[in-house]
Amino acid sequence: MVTKRYKPLLAVMVAFVLAIFMAGTRADAAQKPNYIISTDAAYAPFDFQDKNNQYVGIDMDILKEVAKRNNFTYTLKPMSFNAAAQMVANGQADGIIAGMMINDARKQVYDVSDPYYQSGVAWITKPNSKIKSLSDLKGKTVALKTGTAAANYGASLKDKYGFKVKYFNDTDTMYNDVVNGNTAATFEDYPVIQYAIKNGMKLEVRNPKDLGNGGGVGFFVKKGENALLLQQFNTTLAEMKKDGTYDKIIDKYLNSSQKTFVGEASDNNSMWGILKSNKSAFWKGLVETTKLTVTGIILASLWGLLLGLMGTAQSKFWRGLSTTIIYAFRGLPLMVLAFFIYIGLPGVIGMKIPAFTAGLLTLILNEGAYTGAFVRGGFDSVNVGQMEAARSLGLSHRQAMWKVIVPQGLKMTVPSFVNQFIITLKDTSILSAIGILELTQTGTLIVARNSQGFRVWGIIAIIYLVVITLLTWFSNWVEKKIN
Amino acid sequence: MSEEKKVKVHVDKVNKSYGDNHVLRDISLDVMDNEVVVMIGPSGSGKSTFLRMLNLLEKPDSGVIDVDGHDILDPKTNINKVRENIGMVFQNFNLFNNYTVLENITLAPVQLGKMTKAEAEEKAKELLETVGLPDKANVSVNSLSGGQKQRVAIARALAMNPDIMLFDEPTSALDPEMVGDVLEVMKRLAKTGMTMVIVTHEMGFAKQVANRVVFFESGKIQESGTPEQIFTAPKNERLQTFLSKVMHA
Ligand SMILES: Nc1ncnc2c1ncn2[C@@H]1O[C@H](COP(=O)(O)OP(=O)(O)O)[C@@H](O)[C@H]1O
Ligand SMILES: [Mg+2]
Repeated sequence: MVTKRYKPLLAVMVAFVLAIFMAGTRADAAQKPNYIISTDAAYAPFDFQDKNNQYVGIDMDILKEVAKRNNFTYTLKPMSFNAAAQMVANGQADGIIAGMMINDARKQVYDVSDPYYQSGVAWITKPNSKIKSLSDLKGKTVALKTGTAAANYGASLKDKYGFKVKYFNDTDTMYNDVVNGNTAATFEDYPVIQYAIKNGMKLEVRNPKDLGNGGGVGFFVKKGENALLLQQFNTTLAEMKKDGTYDKIIDKYLNSSQKTFVGEASDNNSMWGILKSNKSAFWKGLVETTKLTVTGIILASLWGLLLGLMGTAQSKFWRGLSTTIIYAFRGLPLMVLAFFIYIGLPGVIGMKIPAFTAGLLTLILNEGAYTGAFVRGGFDSVNVGQMEAARSLGLSHRQAMWKVIVPQGLKMTVPSFVNQFIITLKDTSILSAIGILELTQTGTLIVARNSQGFRVWGIIAIIYLVVITLLTWFSNWVEKKIN
Repeated sequence: MSEEKKVKVHVDKVNKSYGDNHVLRDISLDVMDNEVVVMIGPSGSGKSTFLRMLNLLEKPDSGVIDVDGHDILDPKTNINKVRENIGMVFQNFNLFNNYTVLENITLAPVQLGKMTKAEAEEKAKELLETVGLPDKANVSVNSLSGGQKQRVAIARALAMNPDIMLFDEPTSALDPEMVGDVLEVMKRLAKTGMTMVIVTHEMGFAKQVANRVVFFESGKIQESGTPEQIFTAPKNERLQTFLSKVMHA
């Protein structure tokens, strides 16, 4: 009885979800083969955005050249490294080029090209430091970045050389800690620190000839697939090495002036300069964040409302369904849900989901579950006497809900809605993990290029605060209107 | 009462348990057209449960309940239709907090297509006049005193033109000085010939308006009769104990 009324709403939601799935499956009509190549969005000098927000780097230039010489096109999917690697392992992307080291574990899952660069872990101090060998680190503190291979390598030497470690979440902060002399040394991937030093970081590599865990960097495809692509990559790489193209590319990134990619120094050493030289990037990031937030808020609220109504339906089935959905999606961390939808789900349903759609779906399901829970709570908190009075007059359950319970219950939930809106805005930043170019991801990319972590994150933080303030004002205005 | 009076409510052998608590035990009762039945008894004896069963706010485990010739326990009966003819007044008023006094009264008749909005509003104003609150039409229900709320609740129930009215301790939540106004409205309603089933602890009121008084105890009707029989010559021992307590309290 109750469900009839909700069916149209449900239909709209289903139609919407289908529509966004469809959007992801538009067929490409080009005759040239088109490959989907995933990459790390911020791993200079291999992959990063330049001052014009174009993806550049050793990987990008090599990939472009391979595509040109073999007459194929490709769609680039920049995102976090782990997500990028997963996409290939799951068959959602054809290949990954992301400064990825070749090792035996990876060979189990992927087929890999000939190495196109030699990498390994460098250990780094201030220039002209008295520390000349790892043994000199005895009793000193070493800076490491949480969760990186270089950090694992560094930590494995801790007992042997008798140094202490201090962990950082942000590369930039970590480098500056060494520059400022707070910590004696750090460990980092060799090409990465080379590039940072090129870009003015006052540090020196101590072991360029003797890198730890040294090895090649390669292009990876899923095991047993895309053999042609891999073979074309190897052939072209060999040609490029012969005809000098390869050296030119390496030279361009590791031996040229820093300004080429990051812009003038004056653009980077003040907040104002950074804001000015990246204004279009910040603006695009803000627009994307706003789009995600607004559509996320609207659709999550509708979905939450539906869950709340379902939770107060007369039928046990709908109540149980509501409880289950709320339980499941409230329990899942947002990032897990995002990865599941973006990386996991396409393999099952057999179609690719665009990042924005996946992000939006993540927001709807997660924020909608929270909304559903407090909406249901709001309805439940309306005194049962209200329902009994309405029913005793002859109103149906549905009429009683809409005319008596829902208005009173919703009014009670207004503060929770406002709160949820702000949480939704903040949660959009987590979606940077699947490569949506919103504010946070924009910040990550700019920092990867100019190493100005403090200033860039300061700007991003201020933008978030401004938007949150506007959102709060708007919500308060709505709240007043309702009361 | 004349022989050809119609049975409005026919209850036969209803039982109701909440878990191990057997709240109603084989209760049978007929209420005639135009009759005022008052139910008395100690708290927890099942009076509310019984009353709420008459419009199916509570479902019995077994038995028969016929209202106006409709078997309300038959799943095929449209209970909403039956309820339109049974007004109910609650101890805690249960006015709709999200509406004004007038909207409380007009909501059901308009929603259920009984009247147009204009008709419903006119009717509501008449009813507010009868319950002595002609100037409260447009105020929020939260600004009313308890006695005023209960009179609005009666007007709200009457707006559907019911032919049976159920009252569950309508004055128990009121300050003593408010009780009289509400009872007065109910007395006048009884005089119009409304069929009424009333749960109350107001024994004086019961004596005055009841055609029949029913004594509930431990989920059973222990005794029923005219007010004279019940109040002046109670036979049941428990009724005697109950009356001695409430009369001298
Ligand atoms: N919804 C319910 N759940 C469990 N027990 C109930 C419920 N409603 C009433 N009861 C129990 O049923 C018995 C009769 O209650 P009630 O009909 O309210 O009595 P009265 O109105 O005569 O005071 C009491 O023991 C009460 O605790
Ligand atoms: Mg009671």
